[in-house]
Amino acid sequence: MSEAIVKESSTLVQVEDLVIKFPVRGKGEKKFITPVDRVSLEIKKGEVLALVGESGSGKTTIGRALVRLLTPTDGKIIVEGKAIDEYKGKALNEYRQTAQMIFQDPFGSLNPVKTIESHVKFPLKKHQGYKGEALDQKITDLLVQVGLTPVNEIRKKYPHELSGGQRQRLAIARALAVNPQFIVADEPTSMLDVSIRAGILQLMNDLKDDFGLSYLYITHDLASARYFGDRIMVLYGGRVMEIAESKELIKNPLNPYTKLLLAATPGSESQIDLTNMTNEPPDLTEGRQGCPFVHRCPLVTDLCKEKVPALEEVEDGHVVACHHYGSQALTF
Amino acid sequence: MEEKQPVLELENVSVGYDSTAGMVQAVNDVSLKIYENTIVGLIGESGSGKSTLGNAIMHLLKNNAVLTNGTIKVMGKEVHSMNKNELRKFRWSQMSMVFQSAMNALNPVLTIEAQILDVYRSHYKNMSKKEARARARELMEIVSIDPTHLNSYPHELSGGMRQRVVIAIAIALDPKLVIMDEPTTALDVVVQRSILDKIKQIQKVKKFAILFISHDFSLVSELASKVAIMYAGRFIEVTDSKSLSHTDQHHPYTEGLINAIPHLTAEEVTITGIPGNPPNLVDLPSGCAYHPRCQFATERCKTERPVVHQIDNRDVECHLYDAVRKEVLES
Ligand SMILES: Nc1ncnc2c1ncn2[C@@H]1O[C@H](COP(=O)(O)OP(=O)(O)OP(=O)(O)O)[C@@H](O)[C@H]1O
Ligand SMILES: Nc1ncnc2c1ncn2[C@@H]1O[C@H](COP(=O)(O)OP(=O)(O)OP(=O)(O)O)[C@@H](O)[C@H]1O
Ligand SMILES: [Mg+2]
Ligand SMILES: [Mg+2]
Repeated sequence: MSEAIVKESSTLVQVEDLVIKFPVRGKGEKKFITPVDRVSLEIKKGEVLALVGESGSGKTTIGRALVRLLTPTDGKIIVEGKAIDEYKGKALNEYRQTAQMIFQDPFGSLNPVKTIESHVKFPLKKHQGYKGEALDQKITDLLVQVGLTPVNEIRKKYPHELSGGQRQRLAIARALAVNPQFIVADEPTSMLDVSIRAGILQLMNDLKDDFGLSYLYITHDLASARYFGDRIMVLYGGRVMEIAESKELIKNPLNPYTKLLLAATPGSESQIDLTNMTNEPPDLTEGRQGCPFVHRCPLVTDLCKEKVPALEEVEDGHVVACHHYGSQALTF
Repeated sequence: MEEKQPVLELENVSVGYDSTAGMVQAVNDVSLKIYENTIVGLIGESGSGKSTLGNAIMHLLKNNAVLTNGTIKVMGKEVHSMNKNELRKFRWSQMSMVFQSAMNALNPVLTIEAQILDVYRSHYKNMSKKEARARARELMEIVSIDPTHLNSYPHELSGGMRQRVVIAIAIALDPKLVIMDEPTTALDVVVQRSILDKIKQIQKVKKFAILFISHDFSLVSELASKVAIMYAGRFIEVTDSKSLSHTDQHHPYTEGLINAIPHLTAEEVTITGIPGNPPNLVDLPSGCAYHPRCQFATERCKTERPVVHQIDNRDVECHLYDAVRKEVLES
């Protein structure tokens, strides 16, 4: 529709038709699942794209591909104009600095035998070349920035001596220590209490403003996606179901899956009775046909079972994949 | 008017853990009544003592834990003065619990049916296998799982289905009280919501009382009619859940929790966390345990433990409301 508008602010990450397959143990012949199926997305500089979808929808897999912890089966990932699959050796290391990932479990990603200080000291030294007093000052600054205070007490502690929220802050500090441009934050708050969750979201928001960072924010909580994300992308069964600006998506969801997700979120106004909802996960097998949401969709027709709905821009920046998005009749 | 007998009655209950660092005051002088056909939510941050209280009610405390004070009555019977045999009969038939992360605690080598039959056969010695089987089928239908899955092993079911099985087992013997400890935390929102809707639906028919433990504030305030908010082992506020959506006169910690939730639809989207860290339960802060994190704390909060004030439908344990109460008394 309006190409010109989209390109206005500069693009940092551009993903085109990303496909990721994994082998699965089948009986006899080798089988594959395709948990990420032709996904395209764009993240602008300083933008937060929230990636929402239920467990197993492929969110983490996309995140891992973006920071090159995983090599895609097909498709292109272009960051700052360069295809990242071309990076090797030193260039790959450099790329891994600009793109950092914060993992879901704050404890699993920390080293239990290293002090808090050394978690950030090493990257600051190695990647940013800090030494001596400047290094010391930088460590202090960074820990203050993520709210790990009093610094003098905390820097000598070990991960097990921190609370869940403090551990997640440390993971963020460590990601920042290499001075990245882009952070994949994979459910960074789902293990935390509400009171601490809010603090982490606030922190990531402040850092976005201070450092001009871009984020891919992975979550299954629409409320926090709306709070932190500029735009929200909804994923189901490895496919993009809908993308829109956060406010627009919450106010005017078009895809039946988005509507279901919204209705299920505490605090939502729409009341859909889910008492008899099946808990059947989507089919991820290679070569599956039609829309991934057919098993649970109330609007399903034969067309949905045969043909994958294409992404269609319905309004400026509001894109949806559904054969029947115009239909109002929705009962689950 | 004669008062109805509560299903659960807690009176000044305290539970401590013996640890190398000293006595962990996990539950500290809590009182509460729950009546039939109601859902009471219990929320609080990690480590505030929620599971400990649940375990104490079931009389299933860990070895190093002691009920140091108070009484726990279920259907008028003191749980901690029952002998082993009485307890065995009482548990599951009168009170049951869905344990935290229970869906991973199903026995991996037994079919779902075998695990459900176990429950029936251990309580009803004379029940025929045929009848137990019929009941198991019925139970699966209640929780919306296709009875063919009775022959499945736990790993063949999705997380949401396993959680439904665990709930089915907890209600198998029609208990009067069901304690649910974070029954949906590990699940995604859609599955979570469908299970909660199911719980509500079953409860309408069976009329048992539920103590629903969670740290998800928005979830509990939607599900329960009454909510107890736990901080450092104490109920700092017990409130009807309706008043949680309004920000009128709560405990400062409750208000902090309310402000920490990102809302889905409200126009204003700023949220604020609660500064500071959870308290050390071996060495609790003096006075009100929340005072180091409270923006309203005065000298008095550091030295004197607040008493409970009743404001409308809320019991709030905070010095802030001394003045409010005085005003009310004087007018
Ligand atoms: N290395 C792997 N090998 C095989 N299958 C995998 C691998 N990694 C992920 N999968 C499968 O791919 C699918 C998508 O997984 P992914 O971790 O991306 O989901 P997710 O959306 O992040 O879910 P969650 O919300 O539970 O974290 C799942 O079915 C998962 O089992
Ligand atoms: N066996 C034990 N020995 C010593 N301390 C214990 C033991 N079990 C629990 N505790 C401590 O008792 C306190 C209360 O624990 P409890 O499990 O009741 O918390 P909770 O509110 O259920 O937290 P969560 O939300 O994380 O499940 C915690 O500080 C915990 O560390
Ligand atoms: Mg994931
Ligand atoms: Mg617990």
